[in-house]
Amino acid sequence: MVKQRESLISAYHNYLVNNMLSPGFYVGVPDSVTDFYFLADIMLPGEVTPPISARLYDSSGSFLVELRRNSISKNPCHYVFETIPQGFRIVSSADEIFLDVNTQRFANGYLTRINAKLHDSNGHLRIEPSYEGIHVYGEACLTLNAPFDRQKG
Amino acid sequence: MKRQKRHSPSKDVWVFGDYRNYFQNRVTLQLIAKGRELARTLGGKVTVLVLGAQVHQYAMEYVAHGADMVMVVDHQDLMDFQVETYTRIVTSLVEDYRPDIFLAGATPFGREFFPRVAKRLKTGLSTDCIALEVDPENQLLLQTTPSFGGELLAEVITQDHRPQMATVHPGVFEERPHDHQAIGRISYPEVDIARDNRVQLVRSRPEQGKKGRLEDAPVVVVGGWGVNSKEQFQMLSELAELLGGEVGATRPAVRAGLAEEGRLLGQTGKKIKPKLLITVGTSGALQYTTGIQGAETIIAINRDAQAPIFKMADLGLVGDAGSILALVLDKLRKRI
Repeated sequence: MVKQRESLISAYHNYLVNNMLSPGFYVGVPDSVTDFYFLADIMLPGEVTPPISARLYDSSGSFLVELRRNSISKNPCHYVFETIPQGFRIVSSADEIFLDVNTQRFANGYLTRINAKLHDSNGHLRIEPSYEGIHVYGEACLTLNAPFDRQKG
Repeated sequence: MKRQKRHSPSKDVWVFGDYRNYFQNRVTLQLIAKGRELARTLGGKVTVLVLGAQVHQYAMEYVAHGADMVMVVDHQDLMDFQVETYTRIVTSLVEDYRPDIFLAGATPFGREFFPRVAKRLKTGLSTDCIALEVDPENQLLLQTTPSFGGELLAEVITQDHRPQMATVHPGVFEERPHDHQAIGRISYPEVDIARDNRVQLVRSRPEQGKKGRLEDAPVVVVGGWGVNSKEQFQMLSELAELLGGEVGATRPAVRAGLAEEGRLLGQTGKKIKPKLLITVGTSGALQYTTGIQGAETIIAINRDAQAPIFKMADLGLVGDAGSILALVLDKLRKRI
């Protein structure tokens, strides 16, 4: 029996996650103040930067950095936020790229590829690079049909 | 999610996504618009089937232009439009999902690929359709296509077999405007790619001496059998240039070597909708006029006052093509 994967797709902007296009997704519990999450929120028509929020840990479960809509909000390990022509990067003090968010512009839309290997507070692997984008593990919503704040409301 | 063969056909309309040269080749977008209209009548959805490598951009474009669903088979081996591999994969998907209607553009690839799919599915195929409607009485697709060398327009139905398949020329239907707020669904069926290597693409290159696209030109000057020399065809080219347009041709002119195949209009060529069409030395045979029905204003020049072309012309000039062209060009050169 053959399988298929299905998702929503936006005409304006999508992420590549689990080898699918998706207008927005999250892994973990967004807005958690004690545990891992990664929220790639919906980019609305007119916006040009995909809004990323996240709370990230290393493979031993130690907290590293918190990001709220593309801005570092907690940063005990002194990561650096670098803007690049097609997006941004989070870079460690040892100059290693920890998270890379790269948005490709088409004639009429945008596609964002994320490159990162991310763990939760138990040190479990939750996101890793895969083919063109990322593959996610564990509790996740792979298709947001509205911006996360609106969906909550 | 498991994919199982459906026991009964769906009411969905499928469109084959021919995205090569996307920003010029609009036929898939035009078929999405028509397919959406047909699907709404039937109570189904319009799905665009896209095969290729890294085709994300096109999937998004198809949603922006009205597709309810885009079905994507994305694999590096599908980079080229290879007819054997595409035929096998598409046939397999149609057998599994059983759409009611399946449409493709009458592009060079569509013309080679779609009959193969129809044959394998043991269903009918109407080629070069100029109209598609759902019969309200029996919900069958009425496929209007030129027949008997273009002498007749036939209405074809596919009564017993599915899907009902048709190819349509670029320019027959209008595309929907791009809606960047649109949301659709995307599906990735797992299929066996197994590329067929009996035919391999060695290289491809753009057509030499390529001029502007006939389908986009606001003014088109067409030469037919009555324009019987290279010198007169050169006059047509100059006229088109002075008016900011392009040159088209009928089959006899192409056959006589006066114009290249890419300039051919009509049943076996391109269909155009210019604001102004000047048709010179064309009799008005149906094979040709099916390609120019969308023209807003038609000026016909022919030495035969009884030529059928005058019946569809807004303005008719009876006389020798060469003499009239010389006069017109003389006036235009002085004004520009």
